[in-house]
Amino acid sequence: MISKNLREEVHNCIKCGICLTPCPVYKQRLVEATSPRGKVQLIRNVMEGNLELSENFTRILFTCLLCETCTVNCPSGLQVDQLMKAMRVEVIEKFGLPGKKKFLFELLTGKRLLPFYLFWGRVLRNNLLPLLPVKGKVGTIPLKKFPRLSRQPLLKKIPEVISVPEPKGRVLYFTGCATNYLDGEIGRATIEILVRLGVEVVVPKDQMCCGLPIFLAGAPQMALPNILKNVALFNRQDVDAVVVECATCGAALKKEYPHILREMGQNAEKAEALSRKVLDISQYLMKFDLGKMLRPLKGKVTYHDPCHLLRSQGVKDEPRALLRQIPELDFVEMGGADVCCGGGGTFQWEHPEISENITAQKIGNIEETGANYVATGCPGCRLQIFGNLRKDGVEVVHPVQLISRSLGSPISRA
Amino acid sequence: MLTEKILQEFETILGKERILTSKEDLLSYAYDAYVEEYLPEAVLFPKTSAEVSQIMKVASTHRVFVTPRGAGSGLAACSLAKQGGVILCFTMMNRVLEINKPNRYAVVEPGVVVSEFQKEVEKIGLFYPPDPGSATVATMGGTVLMNAGGMRGIKYGVTRDYLMGLEVVLPSGEVIQTGSLTAKDVTGYDLTRLICGSEGTLALVTRIIVRLLPKPKARRTLQAIYHTIDQAGNTVARIVEEGIIPATLELMDKVIIKALEDYAHLGLPLDAEAILLIEVDGDQASVEKQAGMIAEFCRGQGARDVRVSQSEKESEQLWMARRGAFGAVARMRPSCVIEDATVPVSFLTRAIKEVRTIAQRNQVQIAVLAHAGDGNLHPLVLCDLRDQEEMKRVEKAMDEIVDFAMAVGGVLSGEHGIGIAKAKYLPRQLSPQALNLMRALKKTFDPQGILNPGSFLECAP
Repeated sequence: MISKNLREEVHNCIKCGICLTPCPVYKQRLVEATSPRGKVQLIRNVMEGNLELSENFTRILFTCLLCETCTVNCPSGLQVDQLMKAMRVEVIEKFGLPGKKKFLFELLTGKRLLPFYLFWGRVLRNNLLPLLPVKGKVGTIPLKKFPRLSRQPLLKKIPEVISVPEPKGRVLYFTGCATNYLDGEIGRATIEILVRLGVEVVVPKDQMCCGLPIFLAGAPQMALPNILKNVALFNRQDVDAVVVECATCGAALKKEYPHILREMGQNAEKAEALSRKVLDISQYLMKFDLGKMLRPLKGKVTYHDPCHLLRSQGVKDEPRALLRQIPELDFVEMGGADVCCGGGGTFQWEHPEISENITAQKIGNIEETGANYVATGCPGCRLQIFGNLRKDGVEVVHPVQLISRSLGSPISRA
Repeated sequence: MLTEKILQEFETILGKERILTSKEDLLSYAYDAYVEEYLPEAVLFPKTSAEVSQIMKVASTHRVFVTPRGAGSGLAACSLAKQGGVILCFTMMNRVLEINKPNRYAVVEPGVVVSEFQKEVEKIGLFYPPDPGSATVATMGGTVLMNAGGMRGIKYGVTRDYLMGLEVVLPSGEVIQTGSLTAKDVTGYDLTRLICGSEGTLALVTRIIVRLLPKPKARRTLQAIYHTIDQAGNTVARIVEEGIIPATLELMDKVIIKALEDYAHLGLPLDAEAILLIEVDGDQASVEKQAGMIAEFCRGQGARDVRVSQSEKESEQLWMARRGAFGAVARMRPSCVIEDATVPVSFLTRAIKEVRTIAQRNQVQIAVLAHAGDGNLHPLVLCDLRDQEEMKRVEKAMDEIVDFAMAVGGVLSGEHGIGIAKAKYLPRQLSPQALNLMRALKKTFDPQGILNPGSFLECAP
């Protein structure tokens, strides 16, 4: 059941339509039901009993990137995204998760993760990959551009506590699945920068998938054990901050956990305490004077705002400021940096025909800057951008990778 | 009644993808930004005037009701299928066909969003002034059929003043061109301006030729805060008297000031009664001079605080208050009904005070925004549509606002349109002869009455 607060939200929509043009999905389809206003009004009709929870309604509800552009633009201050997320829960309760999502989420909740990882990652997929059809695609992304699983998860390779002499700070590090399983370099870069700054890094080994993709797909019950476990592990007062370098995981820990727990009638106090400790890596790094430690890095960088960092967490300036500190690295702002890349988690997989055009605009804006690096703190955005780049010569990175290279760290040079 | 057979005829024109009939889709075309809702029987998305023409031929053969719609940001139910039938939605017919710099005109299709078009022309140093509050949503076609206004009305006029010509499809399906590409044209009746503001009752617009201006080189924004409404009103009068025509002259009352402070914390004084936001534009020298003179007028009329922007950035900061005003007020209650009565500009102060009295008398919450330079009031009536008793008081207050506007020679609607929202008041402003003439015109264009049925002419008593 949608909470009373959210039920009231539908009546606060004055149907002005200000949310239409900025909505990346509406802009492609130009059909009202794909707009935030359309969805809010359909939800109102459901609540007023004029509309059943139909399969068509479900399809409409999931034709949304959850990029939250509507929420930040709404003159009446409607929590549009929260309303849509809550409604997703209702329709999934009725229709269940689609098979492929169910499988993916069961992996992420840990039930079959390790055996799968060992079998698929090390035995099958990495070896099979070259045999796959060259032109095959998942959504908009060619199969050959999908990242391979790391040989071993990052969490298996690093100690739980990375201590430094006379620490200037102490943080908990939430790595997230992408860093743990796919791109360990980002994790190592993060740790190394922190260590160079004299910060002790604690990486709780039992941390789970943040669960946000599962919640956003409408299955909070399935995400709940992960959420509770992570809250228990990370709600510690003996650290300066809980740092996260993945925009989505950050959005989960910073914004969504308390909200999800409250909606589910659970006690959210600990999640709220945790939320107050959470910082994006860029926010934490900006507390230090990194500038004098950085060495020149030639080239040109542009920055893409992940939805889950800009709109969910309100982080806009810090990643840019971080990149601007790197000597000789030219920072160029791209047009529409704050527009969603079109990935939207599984959205690009379910609606490639919509994603394709949204992403093409993003790629065009990136190419126009002439940058040879695109930096962004979200694995979904990185995959979507990398997967759709038309030519070589642009490297898609996390900002910490460039910082680490500029520090001259041994790991990232390797 | 829309039969399966007629739908198939539409399908041969548009294909299946551009016709929507699911319950979910119909429900999402049942509303605009007004309160009433009407369910259409199908929604059609043409992409060319040939398609529109074919659709109208089918519609007139079978006498199917057709209602045109852009983005659905209108405030009077003009784009709703009030008596069923199909919605002809122009959002997919959205190309800018030509921007002609030497002759300063542009040709656009009706589905182009106003603010997107403005950005396009400004890139090459041109300027399309009409800027309704919904400019980021509204389509060019919608603003033509509604003759939309906006904040720049005092200096730059409204949509009508920028129209050079149209391509329209008549209800019979015939396609005609009105107007021309020349600045001067006195050939025949001015059908362009007849169709502009017709609320989609005469013809469907499929192509629009608009006049463009050179983009002003400089602008300055002034913010003046007053103890009383009278001081603000007197400042407006003083500016007009001096012969200065600002680009915008916006007034916000104390209810809005409070709402803005509660929501956006801009540091506005809570005991102020009114704020004026004034913008002058033009060449650098005259902008400087006018800004200086207006600042003096503001002080002379007792403004407690006057700020003049020194940069684009400061202008933007001052405008933040005005941009946020509607939203800040809309957050106060679930619904916000926007009134639109307009009075001759010298009655502005009296009108604002009158609205205040009406609000108190009827126990209704009203915030007042006004395009003060042209006497266009926007009383924002805060309410909850579900509270029937409250809505009765709201309606009574709106009646009384209309009474006042009529008594001082004002009009029912400055820029939002009549639609069904104000149809009942129509005979208050229009004589029976004028109404009959309008009905005869409607009959000439649309003898079968298939275009936008249930519009203001039919609803008027």
